Amino acid sequence: MKNFSIAAVIALIILGISSLFVVQEGQRGIVIQFGKVKRDSNDNTVVYEPGIHFKLPFIEQVKKLDARIQTLDDAPDRFVTGEKKDLMVDSYVKWRISDFATYYLSTGGNKAQAESLLKQKVNNGLRTEFGNRTIQEIVSGERDELMSQAMEAAKSSDDIGISIVDVRVKQINLPLEVSNSIFQRMRAERTAVAKEHRSQGQEKAEIIRADVDARVTVMLADAERKALTLRGEGDANAAKIYAETYSKNPDFYAFIRSLDSYKKSFDSKSDVLIVQPDSDFFRFMKDSKGGK
Amino acid sequence: MAWNEPGNNGKDNDPWKQKGGRDQGPPDLDQFFKELSDKFGGLFGGGGKGGQSGSSPATSIGLTLIIVIALLVWFISGFYSIKEAEKGLVLRFGQFYEIKEPGLRWNPPFIDEVFNVDVQTIRTLPASGFMLTEDENVVRVEFEVQYRVVDPRNYKFSVTNADESLREAMDSALRYVVGHSKMDAILTSGREDVRQKTWQEIEKIIEPYNLGITISDVNFKDARPPEEVKAAFDDAISAQEDEERFIREAEAYAREIEPAARGRVNRMNQEAQAYKQRVLLEAQGEVAKFEKLLPEYEAAPQVTRQRLYLDAMEAVFSATSKVIVDVEGGGNMMYLPLDKIMQNQNRASSNPKKADVQSIRDTVTTNNTQSSSNQTKVGVRSDRTRSGRN
Repeated sequence: MKNFSIAAVIALIILGISSLFVVQEGQRGIVIQFGKVKRDSNDNTVVYEPGIHFKLPFIEQVKKLDARIQTLDDAPDRFVTGEKKDLMVDSYVKWRISDFATYYLSTGGNKAQAESLLKQKVNNGLRTEFGNRTIQEIVSGERDELMSQAMEAAKSSDDIGISIVDVRVKQINLPLEVSNSIFQRMRAERTAVAKEHRSQGQEKAEIIRADVDARVTVMLADAERKALTLRGEGDANAAKIYAETYSKNPDFYAFIRSLDSYKKSFDSKSDVLIVQPDSDFFRFMKDSKGGK
Repeated sequence: MAWNEPGNNGKDNDPWKQKGGRDQGPPDLDQFFKELSDKFGGLFGGGGKGGQSGSSPATSIGLTLIIVIALLVWFISGFYSIKEAEKGLVLRFGQFYEIKEPGLRWNPPFIDEVFNVDVQTIRTLPASGFMLTEDENVVRVEFEVQYRVVDPRNYKFSVTNADESLREAMDSALRYVVGHSKMDAILTSGREDVRQKTWQEIEKIIEPYNLGITISDVNFKDARPPEEVKAAFDDAISAQEDEERFIREAEAYAREIEPAARGRVNRMNQEAQAYKQRVLLEAQGEVAKFEKLLPEYEAAPQVTRQRLYLDAMEAVFSATSKVIVDVEGGGNMMYLPLDKIMQNQNRASSNPKKADVQSIRDTVTTNNTQSSSNQTKVGVRSDRTRSGRN
């Protein structure tokens, strides 16, 4: 009796446990009856929210599906742009299961399979987009256009019970030859900028120099003018004084002034005078009478 | 829209209800507990009601003891603490139940699951990489986002990995903003602008994800041109410096030359003034001398004239080299080695000329090593040779 009761209790416990199931937060549960997804009278899939639920033990099986937003982030993909250049584009897709039954039936609840289907759909969209655009347009174009393509893909992703929340480009890497040409162009631009700066500097410096040179030249010329004026005044004053005095006896003035000039003119040994001794000075050298 | 918005126990807002289905909500928990406690005699009772097993009186004391101990262990293991910076996220049978504040807390094990989520610590997420700008240049940008968890429930359960989602959003936002900015703006003036735009863009991207986090700050740490073009960029920067330098040099030149010129102007002016004075004074001197001499001359013109003439000639002939040629009719047959004569003459010290500043300065500065000239007088006495064609 006691043994039986224990066995009964254990059986009850097992039964209880197998008729309960817990759906975690962030998941949803669907119930499979004999391989069929359980639906209600309106033919809608029965989806179990997080919490603890009952099921018929052994008949119904529970599949728990992730209801969170999931990320499909694959290795960067190679795309060909409108200029026939290769781009490595790293994009990601945010998706979530919108129709749990459809999702379960089309993928068997296998996330990897769902993602590979999704990836094909999204990549086709992106490929079309990139193929019609230049690198410039891809990099600086409108995000919405990309999204619209993603939404195109999203329409067709309904058949696997998935809704796409977001598609975004994370990274665009240029192939080597493209980036090399970009680097060359950047270098050229910088060189131009550098040259411009230096010439501008020269220009400004030249302006400053020319300006000061001009001012100095004018200053000096003006000073010269004043100086000459002053000298002229001095000379005029002197001439006046000389004239006033010397006109008293011009003859004598001429005489002593000439003598002074001789003294000044012939005042060094390097002056060689070749004279014949018949000038007035040598009068007495020839004879003491002085030629008289 | 999200089906698990906070503040709503997740029952009334699942998206499938809109499709016209009946609400398949979970059964009433209280009822469920009651059933259980009826079945198992308080094993699952409200917890801590003591372990009085009421199944049968025949149960042995040992079994009771085991059950009591098991209950006790279960009860004690339900205690846990939540740190000051954390909040406890409680799931009851997998369903979101409540948020617990810091402190010592108790929840029934196996029924409740508790996640401690840090909601205070500022977390940082770096991002960096080469990006294309609007003007098709490449820049290397380093960014950092600082964020906090504000809604533990969304943080844990709305996306598979909230931090990773933020990182993806950030990468995407950053490239979007950089792709819509000019390189010069990114490298220099427009950094704050880029920062703001990136912040906005990240917010916009993560909004539909319901990450349950808030961005507290976005740091624009660095923006550099790539290594391959660094030299050219550095050169452009040094060119700016050069530009500045050229201007400064020109200014230096201007500042140097202008005062010098002013000085020169001043000197010219002074010299002219001095000249004017000097000429006047000299004239007065000359005139005074003449004025003194004139009465004497007029007293005895013949003698005075003779004397003055001889004095002057004496001075001339004593100071110069002389060749006296007593040849009639210009001796064109005669050879005078004038250059020799000149060579043999050291330049005689000249009589001091008119005193001027230059001479004063010379006498002061140059140590005048002019040896007094050896006054060798070369007297060439040519015989009265007859010319060849006598």
